[in-house]
Amino acid sequence: MPEPTTIVPAVTTESADGRRSADAPASAVDPTSVSTVSRPGAARRALRLGVAGPVGTGKSSLIATVCRALAREIRLGVITNDIFTDEDARFLRSAGVLDPERIRAVETGACPHTAIRDDVTANLAAVEQLEVDFDPLDVVLVESGGDNLTATFSPALVDAQLFVLDVAGGGDVARKGGPGIGRADLLVVNKIDLAPHVGVDVEQMVADGLEAREGRPVLALSRHREETVAQLRSWVLNMLAAHQAGLHEPQDPGPMAPHFHAGEVEPHTHDEAHDHDHAHQG
Amino acid sequence: MNVPSTTLAMMLADSRLPIGAHVSSNALEAALLGGLSPGRIGEYLATRMDTVARVEAGAAVLARHLAQRDQPLAALHAEWAARTPSRAQRRIAAVLGDGLRRLADRLWPGSLSTDAGSPRPLVLGAIAAIAGLGPRDLARLVAYDDAQTVVAAALKLEPGDPRQGTALVLEACARFEPHIDALAALQDPTLLPSAGAPQIEGWSEDQSVLPRRLFRA
Repeated sequence: MPEPTTIVPAVTTESADGRRSADAPASAVDPTSVSTVSRPGAARRALRLGVAGPVGTGKSSLIATVCRALAREIRLGVITNDIFTDEDARFLRSAGVLDPERIRAVETGACPHTAIRDDVTANLAAVEQLEVDFDPLDVVLVESGGDNLTATFSPALVDAQLFVLDVAGGGDVARKGGPGIGRADLLVVNKIDLAPHVGVDVEQMVADGLEAREGRPVLALSRHREETVAQLRSWVLNMLAAHQAGLHEPQDPGPMAPHFHAGEVEPHTHDEAHDHDHAHQG
Repeated sequence: MNVPSTTLAMMLADSRLPIGAHVSSNALEAALLGGLSPGRIGEYLATRMDTVARVEAGAAVLARHLAQRDQPLAALHAEWAARTPSRAQRRIAAVLGDGLRRLADRLWPGSLSTDAGSPRPLVLGAIAAIAGLGPRDLARLVAYDDAQTVVAAALKLEPGDPRQGTALVLEACARFEPHIDALAALQDPTLLPSAGAPQIEGWSEDQSVLPRRLFRA
């Protein structure tokens, strides 16, 4: 079986600019203004990295993989979000990949979506407390309670986010798009070792993801394939470096799929403030 | 910011307020699992109005009174805790109080007189003192929020006609109304109502150890 195409560009601010609309403020489109403006305190606190994606795609397992690959090099903390109690936190603690005290659970009630997007209060409190208790931390991973394809993190909670799909969920999911698939900082196609068993063409799924993401990075991952774990590890370290250097600007993948304004060529989302009449085509 | 007491009450009672309060059912989930029939949620609310809601509202009014006079809230905190024997209830009150404190820090930076870990009624009272929410609105807000929390959770746990739930909230608020005068006049923390509800406390404790719960509290 041919190895799937995996494309992991270095972390730059270009991925952010690529999705800016033509009518965004000039200062926001100018990459130099983005890269030279260091957010105050950005480098002083941990990188907060969200892991989102539907139920069962391997978010907890991916976090365990990141911990296993990096816990000896950098200082990690983990916040899990569960709909039902603290199942994921217990899984991660039992995995033995990180000091169990650095793994904390936030209960999201019946609203996993709300807790990472509309009202991040409980998660932000947990992240900040973890950062205080284990100061200094380099990266805090925040796992969303598995929800549907529309659930993405608010930039008020995380600095960057991964969206996790898996081959067992169906080869056509990446093509369906949506904010997480289209505009998370990294799209992970997980469990690629299972592809032959579920009749999915990984190469096609990655290609679909790349198309939906207009070139933003896609990583084909299996925790059983060291070379893919190494790519995940590099991506996290690159993102951490960009964060520490003040070069990474948190992006909202948006609540909606990209759409077109009449007469425009590029799709855009409504994360930049602008006021003009909308004429939506679809 | 200078807005009328009514506006503040509406804002603080809005379920869209970003304080992380959607994780609580006010122990309704454990109550239903413990045998409370969904048809008796109105009675559950009535009992809460006569008991725990009076303690919470009274504590909020007293916190407002003390905070307005720059007096410490520690003694009131102790009186409230003594009337809130369920550790689970005290714990969720601290969690929700923290969410409210985080919001208040943004809206009225540096003004809040409560310590970290203060329970929600004390934080609410301190907010009322700095923002100009009157004692009657404050007491009504606590009761309304208590009832709405139960009813919103009921719609997830035992979904029925949502309009019926809204009717139950209004009935609960009407039930609470006769308590308003006495609560609004409170000035001495030792006179905080001691209206315990052992069944509610028991359900609150049960809720805190439910193995696969939808709600944290």
